[in-house]
Amino acid sequence: MLTATHLSRRFGERIALEDVSFTLEAGEIFALLGPNGAGKTTTLRLLAGLIAPSSGSVQVDGEPMGPRSAPRLRAHIGFLTEAPGLWDRLTVRQNLLVYARLYGLSSPERAVETALERFEIRDRGDDRAAQLSKGLKQRVALARSILHDPRIAMLDEPTSGLDPESARDVRELILSLRERGRAVLLCTHNLDEVERVADRVAVLSTRLVAIGTPSSLRARLFTPRVRVVLAQPAEPFAGTLRQAGLADVAADGVALSVGIAGTSLTTPDLVRRLVEAGASIESVHPEEPPLEDVYLKLLNPEGEAS
Amino acid sequence: MSRTLALLGKELADVRQNLTIFLPAMLVTVIAILLPVLIAIVVPAVTGERLSDSGDLEIALEMYRKDPSMQRLDPEAAIQAYVFQYFLVMLVLGPVTSAMSVAAFSVIGEKQARTLEPLLVTPISTFELLGAKLLGALLPAIALTVGSLVLYLTVIAIAAGDGVVGVLLGPRALGVVFLIGPLAALVALQLAACASARVNDARTAQQLGVFVILPIPALLLGQLFGGIELTVPVILWISLFLAIVNAGLMWLAIRLFDRETILTRWK
Repeated sequence: MLTATHLSRRFGERIALEDVSFTLEAGEIFALLGPNGAGKTTTLRLLAGLIAPSSGSVQVDGEPMGPRSAPRLRAHIGFLTEAPGLWDRLTVRQNLLVYARLYGLSSPERAVETALERFEIRDRGDDRAAQLSKGLKQRVALARSILHDPRIAMLDEPTSGLDPESARDVRELILSLRERGRAVLLCTHNLDEVERVADRVAVLSTRLVAIGTPSSLRARLFTPRVRVVLAQPAEPFAGTLRQAGLADVAADGVALSVGIAGTSLTTPDLVRRLVEAGASIESVHPEEPPLEDVYLKLLNPEGEAS
Repeated sequence: MSRTLALLGKELADVRQNLTIFLPAMLVTVIAILLPVLIAIVVPAVTGERLSDSGDLEIALEMYRKDPSMQRLDPEAAIQAYVFQYFLVMLVLGPVTSAMSVAAFSVIGEKQARTLEPLLVTPISTFELLGAKLLGALLPAIALTVGSLVLYLTVIAIAAGDGVVGVLLGPRALGVVFLIGPLAALVALQLAACASARVNDARTAQQLGVFVILPIPALLLGQLFGGIELTVPVILWISLFLAIVNAGLMWLAIRLFDRETILTRWK
């Protein structure tokens, strides 16, 4: 649906983005992660045809994004900017109506009413944008960005500054876009949000540091571990496991964290050994490092992720 | 065109919600209307000295004797007609001030509220965006021009001698108000819009308007103290000059309002 090929962008001497390539498929949520200044917003602007690449190209459905095709291709893209950017003196309805007309919708009024209904803001339709809370403004901005039912949604920090309930609503909306076969490009610092919704992740630091599913990135960086929670102190059983040949065992209160990579021991073997040694096991589950650890390790391979 | 109209509707709705922006322009217009009324009507009435008896207005009397359209007026009314005709150029100040204010506040307001980027994501072209912005400032300026002219003529019809209004409805007066006025307003608003791309304070952007405002009273003084007479050809030359300046400013504005420039170079 959307392809970025060797995208680079310079601003004078400064390199904002260098040699970034990836694809975005229909029905996929793709998250762009990276520190401030990593080139995330520049990437979004390049993909939406708002600025031109210094080199490389963007294609939407196989059609190259260029000065001539950009206005037409932009009609397929919904873009949520970092700031809601509503006209404060206009009402919510007026704000949306201008955009419905700018997108050339056949029935702008109906599209606006549908959006107000869908985002549960119909009762605020006649309020001026200046009167809205930050969360409501963000909701209106989201409604505006997908008013024309775009096939690709580019969302820059969609839950920034939102309370947990509003943030959950936004996540549900993002998931509903995926269900409807829309491609979603998410640009965020909120790793928890990415963990919950993203199918694939790209970590950016001017260049593309890594790309893949969250689990594939984890597997690439961290050895698989199993966490066993016992009904009694875990330390004595750590010794049992070490005697069984497991070198990477850590006890923390009633929990054991066991690295099983490079051993012949499987998780059922591990459980059996513990039970034979008299352990009462409450739970066993694979130990997945949070995405934050993956992210930090990718950006700082020499440093230590917690 | 439909996108220009969509955005123009927003611009005008925004202006309607912010009428205080017109206060300076209305103040200037009121002064521009009252000043000639004071000179031609109030002062002679208070002092009891008729304008036609004053030696200071010899030039006007001389022109009165030469101008066939004035022959049917009595000398006092003819001098009143000259005063009102000369001060007509001051009516251009109102639209110029209004256009500058609206343009500067519109562009800088968008910058401060960060409302331009969502707009740039839509299929709107630079020309459509700029067209809507310029029309959004120019239309109120033209409305102000028409309104102030109607008010000016009404005051003259009530207060001045017989036939003075009829003289003012000639091609010279209409040329000043409907050619020089809108063209000067367009220069002012394009200057303000271009300046607004580079600064973050509307007042700073408006200061450039001095380049448009100052020649207007200079034109009035030039008429009053001789040297310049706003004949129809002179009005047409001034209009041509303003049209050329406008074309140059439009060229500059299209470059400044280009998407990439707005997103990467506007401060």
